[in-house]
Amino acid sequence: MIKVNNLHKSFGKLNVLNGIDEHIKPGEVVVVIGPSGSGKSTFLRCLNLLEKPDKGEIYVDDQLINAPKVDVNKVRQKMGMVFQHFNLFPHLTVMRNIILAPMKLKKMPKEEALAKGRELLKTVGLSDKEKSYPVQLSGGQKQRIAIARSLAMEPEIMLFDEPTSALDPEMVGEVLDVMKNLAKSGMTMVVVTHEMGFAREVATRVIFMDGGVVLESGTPEEIFDHPQNPRTKLFLSKVL
Amino acid sequence: MNLYTAWLTAGESTGWFAEFTRTFEKCFIREDRYKLLLEGVGVTIKISLLAALLGLIIGFLIASCSLSKHKLLRFFGKVYTDVIRGTPSVTQLMIIYFVIFATVDLDKWIIAAIAFSINSGAYVAEIIRAGILSIDKGQTEAGRSLGLNGIQTMFYIVIPQAVKNIFPAMCNEFITLIKETAIVGYVGLMDIQKAGDFIKSATYLAFMPLIATAIIYFVMIKILTTLFGFLEKILRKSDIR
Repeated sequence: MIKVNNLHKSFGKLNVLNGIDEHIKPGEVVVVIGPSGSGKSTFLRCLNLLEKPDKGEIYVDDQLINAPKVDVNKVRQKMGMVFQHFNLFPHLTVMRNIILAPMKLKKMPKEEALAKGRELLKTVGLSDKEKSYPVQLSGGQKQRIAIARSLAMEPEIMLFDEPTSALDPEMVGEVLDVMKNLAKSGMTMVVVTHEMGFAREVATRVIFMDGGVVLESGTPEEIFDHPQNPRTKLFLSKVL
Repeated sequence: MNLYTAWLTAGESTGWFAEFTRTFEKCFIREDRYKLLLEGVGVTIKISLLAALLGLIIGFLIASCSLSKHKLLRFFGKVYTDVIRGTPSVTQLMIIYFVIFATVDLDKWIIAAIAFSINSGAYVAEIIRAGILSIDKGQTEAGRSLGLNGIQTMFYIVIPQAVKNIFPAMCNEFITLIKETAIVGYVGLMDIQKAGDFIKSATYLAFMPLIATAIIYFVMIKILTTLFGFLEKILRKSDIR
C-alpha cells in the first residue's frame, strides 16, 4: 500500500532522514517509536508530502507520489492525518469542521455530509458536540473530532503524528480508545507515538527509528521483549 | 443678562451669546453656506467609500504578490509598498491628478478616489499580509492534508480566520483614509475641509467654520467606529466559550 525506497530529507545542514526503506501493507498498524529528533515525524510527514523528500521514492497504491505532475491533493485525499496539536479549524463548528472537505472535494450533498458527520461523531462518542466550536472542547475531545474529520474523507490510510502528546494524562485514554477501534475496523495506520502500551497492544508492527534510519522493525513482542539492536535496548530501558 | 433676553436682543446686543448667534448666521445661514458643508460631506463620503473599496482590492492583490512563491511578484509587492509609504499622499494625489490622469476624462472625485485607493492599498496590503501570516501553520497543514489545494485552504480556512485578526486594523485604516481625503482641496474638489476653508475665506471668520469642520468629521467617524464595534462582536462569535 505504501512503499518507501531510500528516503532522504534534510533541513538546511541537518540530515533528518538518511535512507529509509519501508513497506506498509494494507490493514497493518505500524507504530513508529524512537527518541526525539530521530526523524519519526518527518518520516510521517513525508508520506503525505507535507515535507518534500530530497531523495528517494514513495509509492502509494503503486503510484509514485513524489514525482512532478502528480496531483498531490488527490493523493492526500486517500490519507488522513491527525496532528499533535489537533489543528481543528477554530472558526467553524465541529460539524462544519467535519463536512468541509467532503462537501468541497467530493461534492457530497449537504444532507448526506451531515448524516455522515453525525455517524462519525457517534463513533468518536461526541454526538452532543455537533454545534460546538473547537474552543469549547477539551483536548481529548478536540483530538477525537480531528480523527472524525480525517475519516470523513474515507481515507485508505490514517497517519497519526504524536496524537496524544499534547493531551493531559487523563484524556489520553479516550483518544487511544478511538484509535484502537479504528485499528480493529481494519484501517491501515501509521502512528508516531510515545505510548508504548498502545504500541504493544494494537500495533501489528513496531518500527524503531534513530538518527534518521530504521534500526529495528518487528512485532511488538520482538521489539519490546527481545530487542536486538543495542540502541533499541537503551531506548526501551529508559521509557518502559 | 440671562440667556432669554440675550436671544431677544441678539440683533443689537454685544453679549457673547448674541455674538455667537450673529457669527453662526454669517457662517452657515447667510447665502446658504451650510449647503457647502452638506455637499462637502457627500463628496468626502463618495471618495472615501470608493477609495476604500478599490483600496481593499488593490491591497488584496499586493498582499498576494508579497506572499507569492514567485520572486518577481514578491519584488513588485515590496516596491509598491515602499514607494507608496515613502512619499506623501498629497504628492501622490497631485501626481495622479495632474500627471497620470491629466488627459483622462473622468469625474474629479473618481480620480481622487483612485489616488487614495492606490495609497490605501499599500497599507491594506501590509495589514492583510500580517493577518495571513498570523494564522498558525498547522491550519494550512490540516487543510492541505485533507486534500484541499492551496487556494481552497486559503479561502475556506486561512482567510476567514485572518479576517477576524485583520478587522480592527482595517477599520483603523478606513478611518485614516477618511481623514486623509481632507487634502482633495488641492485638486479643486469641495469636500468638508475645503467647504470649511471656503467659508473661512468668505467670512473672515476662522473659529466657527473650522470647529464645524472638525465636529462633522468627528461625528462621521464616531458613527463608523460604533458600527465597527458591533461588527467585531459578531465576528468574534466563535471565540465565546
